[in-house]
Amino acid sequence: MRMEENRVSFEPKLLGFLCNWCSYAGADLAGVSRIQYPPNMRVIRVMCSGRVDPEFVIQALELGIDGVYVMGCHIGDCHYLDGNYEAIRKFDMTKKFLSFVGLDNRIRLDWVSASEGVRFGEVVSKFVEDIKALGPSPLSGDTPDQELLEKVKAIREAVSSNRMRALVGRQRKITEEENVYGEKVPEEEFDVLMDQAIKEEYDRHRILLALEKDSKSVKDLGIELNLDPSIVLEHTLTLKSRSQVDFQKIIGNTPIFMRI
Amino acid sequence: MEKVSKSALVIGGGIAGIQAALDLADMGIHVDMVEKKPCIGGRMAQLDKTFPTNDCSICILAPKLSECYRHPNITLYSYSEVQKVEGSAGNFSAEILKRARYIKEEECINCGLCVEKCPMRVEDEFDRELRKRRAIYIYYLQGVPAIMTIDKEKCLWFTKNACRICEKTCEREAIDFEQEDQIIKLENIGSIIVATGYSLIEDIDKDVLKNYGYGKFRNVVSALEFERLECASGPQGGHIKRFSDGKTPKKIAFLQCIGSRSDRVEKYCSSICCMYTTKEAMIAYEHDNELESYVFYIDMRAGGKGFQSFLRRGAAEYNIKYIKSKIAQITVDEKENPIIIYEDLDNDKITQLKVDLVVLATCIVPPQGIDNLAEILGIELNDYNFIKTTPFIPVETSKNGVFTCGCVHEPMDIPRSVAEASGAAAKAAEIIRGG
Amino acid sequence: MSEERNEEEIRVGVFVCHCGSNIGGVIDCKKLAEEVRNFPDVAYTEDNLYTCSENGLAAIKKAVEEHKLNRVVVASCTPRTHEPLFRECISEAGLNPYLFNFVNIRDQCTWVHMKHPEEAYDKAKDLIKMGAAKAVKLEPLDMIMVNINPAALVIGGGVAGMSAALSLSRQGFKTYIVEKEDKLGGRLNSLHKLFPYDIEATEFVGKIINNVKNAQNLEVITSSRVINIEGFIGNYEVEIDQNGNIRKLEVGAIIVAVGSSLLNPQGLFGYDGIKRITQYELEPKLKNKDLKAKEVVMIQCAGSRNDERPYCSSVCCMTALKNALTIKELNPDIHVTILFRDLYTPGTSYEEYYRKAREQGVLFVKYDEDRMPNVEENQVKVFNEYIGDEMIIAYDLLVLSTPLVANSDNKDLAQLLKVPLEANGFFLEAHVKLRPNDFATDGVYIGGSAKWPVDITETISQGYAAASRASTILSHETIEVEGATSILPEYNKSLCTGCEVCIKVCPYNAIKKNENDEIEIIQALCKGCGLCAATCTNKALVIRHFTDDQILSEIYAYGGE
Repeated sequence: MRMEENRVSFEPKLLGFLCNWCSYAGADLAGVSRIQYPPNMRVIRVMCSGRVDPEFVIQALELGIDGVYVMGCHIGDCHYLDGNYEAIRKFDMTKKFLSFVGLDNRIRLDWVSASEGVRFGEVVSKFVEDIKALGPSPLSGDTPDQELLEKVKAIREAVSSNRMRALVGRQRKITEEENVYGEKVPEEEFDVLMDQAIKEEYDRHRILLALEKDSKSVKDLGIELNLDPSIVLEHTLTLKSRSQVDFQKIIGNTPIFMRI
Repeated sequence: MEKVSKSALVIGGGIAGIQAALDLADMGIHVDMVEKKPCIGGRMAQLDKTFPTNDCSICILAPKLSECYRHPNITLYSYSEVQKVEGSAGNFSAEILKRARYIKEEECINCGLCVEKCPMRVEDEFDRELRKRRAIYIYYLQGVPAIMTIDKEKCLWFTKNACRICEKTCEREAIDFEQEDQIIKLENIGSIIVATGYSLIEDIDKDVLKNYGYGKFRNVVSALEFERLECASGPQGGHIKRFSDGKTPKKIAFLQCIGSRSDRVEKYCSSICCMYTTKEAMIAYEHDNELESYVFYIDMRAGGKGFQSFLRRGAAEYNIKYIKSKIAQITVDEKENPIIIYEDLDNDKITQLKVDLVVLATCIVPPQGIDNLAEILGIELNDYNFIKTTPFIPVETSKNGVFTCGCVHEPMDIPRSVAEASGAAAKAAEIIRGG
Repeated sequence: MSEERNEEEIRVGVFVCHCGSNIGGVIDCKKLAEEVRNFPDVAYTEDNLYTCSENGLAAIKKAVEEHKLNRVVVASCTPRTHEPLFRECISEAGLNPYLFNFVNIRDQCTWVHMKHPEEAYDKAKDLIKMGAAKAVKLEPLDMIMVNINPAALVIGGGVAGMSAALSLSRQGFKTYIVEKEDKLGGRLNSLHKLFPYDIEATEFVGKIINNVKNAQNLEVITSSRVINIEGFIGNYEVEIDQNGNIRKLEVGAIIVAVGSSLLNPQGLFGYDGIKRITQYELEPKLKNKDLKAKEVVMIQCAGSRNDERPYCSSVCCMTALKNALTIKELNPDIHVTILFRDLYTPGTSYEEYYRKAREQGVLFVKYDEDRMPNVEENQVKVFNEYIGDEMIIAYDLLVLSTPLVANSDNKDLAQLLKVPLEANGFFLEAHVKLRPNDFATDGVYIGGSAKWPVDITETISQGYAAASRASTILSHETIEVEGATSILPEYNKSLCTGCEVCIKVCPYNAIKKNENDEIEIIQALCKGCGLCAATCTNKALVIRHFTDDQILSEIYAYGGE
């Protein structure tokens, strides 16, 4: 009869990235201790939680996976000294991007040690429960939400962009070390910069995607993407300076842009 | 470097023995490692976390365990003891008693089916007898080698000629009741390293702790017992509960120098208790932010790297109060709440404090069996029955070619044990390489 | 990517292990093995009762040969215990060991979903699908071989450095000691006696210096400094400046044993160097039996365990006890009072020493950090907790137990070696618990007070420890390091913008810019964590065995492309 129930109740499809040294060992210990937890999550083993590229997380969501869990060693326990700090930086950025499309609560970062077999079972159970409460991802199933899919695609491209990767990669250097002029950017100031960059790159990559299908004017882009035309214009000019878009033609006084 | 034909014998498979063995093996020297218990790992495997980083103990130990087990230059004799040693530096020979596990080592895959079926429940030594294991068991879950052992003293087959359920359950036919103890002869040993660690005062003399209510009151536990209670894979799954009523303690007293720095018991300082007590209190606080901890101490001994800031953090962020004091007595009220009567050295008054749980930082003592081992090896012990070492050269024993490291010659923390283990390996290598 | 790869047909073999009933008792392994045969590029599958048994391993080898398999997947217990075994097995079957992939369907599947066999079956199937998809993308990798120069450099000729150097030379390695002073011995040259054995320091260190002088393979270079270090584990080139003469040494390992410095006591408790001196200034007086004082007061933690220097210097209590006992030996009528906060005499012999000092009539008065002793011209006022009142203690000699501090030039050496310092300026080891004498950078080791204040006994054992760690490298002509490292492939070179984010993020200093200003990964140092690849701003770096391509293929296999 269980099968009958299963057909009606939603069983989320989850993906977990586990670091080799702590979380994966913790998951194994759950097994050795015969801890029972729901079978919804599939695991990809990585050497370090800091290896998890934001692109992986977004790609999984784009494919309709209902939730993604990244697990690493507790802070201070990292086998690679401070790889889990890198994981935090990447994860935080990813989450901020996803908040634009309401998918941010479908990803989670947590630390599970090699002795926390019970806890591994607990956190996975909790994740399953929480995602169940959220319901299926709008990108899952045979008819995913196309508009949302476009946005998530834009996010995937944005997290992979040189600017975002450089910001995340340099965060530590910028906030912890002085530059040649003896200046250091405080954590809070950096956060402001980061938030701004996230917003900009999200919009820019949406513009790029929109221009991929066909060439458009700033005004049409604004309507399509529900953005203020002045912002669209600003972004488009930036993209032009980055050689990512160019004028295709000018109709009347209106320039038509295309993606390069 | 040319191949060396002499090997090293490492006695003891705790963190010190493991480090010494790994260093030697990585130098290309063959090592025979002898561990009395069914699995290597020693005390460190019993710890939940380690100070001052509060690293998860098994997380950082486990890779070393498997490295040790798999290393092509290390032969591990677990559940074994050294029975005889002859010869001199550069050319020792030894006899090892390899006790029968009644398990075919190469067949057992640690699946645990036999454990589920075994009807005999036995006090679990690894968990300080805070829970039961079966007569067929793995010493601890993450233990290496990851194979079962049958406890001959407790197994129904050996005691009553009945049962053998494990044999029927095992799909690998790994159970072998016919197995016998073996004597293994090792020749051509260049150097020997003794790293058999320590025992705790409660292991050899529980009476000493009676004054502190240990064994008398259910809510008085030893520090190592508390460590197991804190551990996520321990007997309470990491949720600390009192033994009297299963309630989570909100007020814990940690008593220092129990048996150490004492005229009645041991005169020396156990070196590690001030630090692990703070760690235990911190971890307990992390489990429950309403917890109040009281540490009753004589001198706070925190000389190692990062130790002082660790104590400061304990006081500032983990609700730990340090009380310089002398404990007069411990009693309990009708609800079995321990009451500590002490002389507060800050105001010279006799004061009382009622708590939910008492944790005793019990004294480190030389490991059980040290006299016998010292006799076998022909090495001297010091006034305290630890291994006697050369002044300023803590890894040298009274016998040329026999080295030591870790708590078997002096109470010390893990970093110092590990450093000494490497140091002992260097000295052992000098002899093996004919230097 | 594919330009490098042979366009051979990928043929994956999948072996599903029953593990007796551990897996087989929960899910139908036979059916599973049949079903996974339909996955892309899977050429062969079978189920085994125990894939890890001799039969199972033989079955893998046979199938590799008969079915021309070039990728092998085993679905069984956990890679943490069994991956090495299967890698070896396919290696024996003639395949590169990195063409193996492990799928965990026991520890993380049948054992944890025993009551949900159908879901466990589906999970196992997905996991195998993902594992096979990754296997398709796997590439053969070779272990990396690094040549080792069997020589060592020990920086610092104190007791730590000499102990390390003596052990290495006795083990047969060419060893150099570089000492900045004009003679060996370090701090011990200026001490009187050594606790707790009351041996003359100069006599003790003299013996060690003699051993060094008589040692084979051991060269001492005094009055010299290290000015440049190039290279990596096994292959360092070090430049030494000896009184203006530059000399180059080639070594395989480096040991840092530069010791520590004394705190400048100016401004502490009225220090004047005459009536109010430090323990280190007291030592020569005791040595020359030149002590006129009748009332000696010592203050512990003078300049330590405060906000500026929060640490305990760990040797000062014993030093004070030693000097107090020496004074009592010179003249039992001299009063010695030690003002302390927590007396640090851990272990057996030190605690005994403390008792001895009490028995000899040394007076101990505890003071609190919040109520520091007030030093006046001829007396000290200290609040005593035992009596709950202020005590006035007269003195004609005040001795400050000042801490050892980090050398001011540690920073320069740290930069040359690319190793870190901790907040107080001491060197920071790889792991405070389990790697006390290693740096995170392979091939560089540490011992003695350069890392943290320690007594002679610990200094010597740490010197030996550093020697042992170095010997694990120097004992080999070549060492093999993990092949699953990060690389900048030729075909990705144009992607690298030279932004250096990877250099910053690498925990092991394995990435540098070479003479052509190109990013280069020192394979010998890379541990394969993949932080650089995940961070590389233009995705130019590739972390082998966990490539983007491989991980994405797992994601696609699960999510559906």
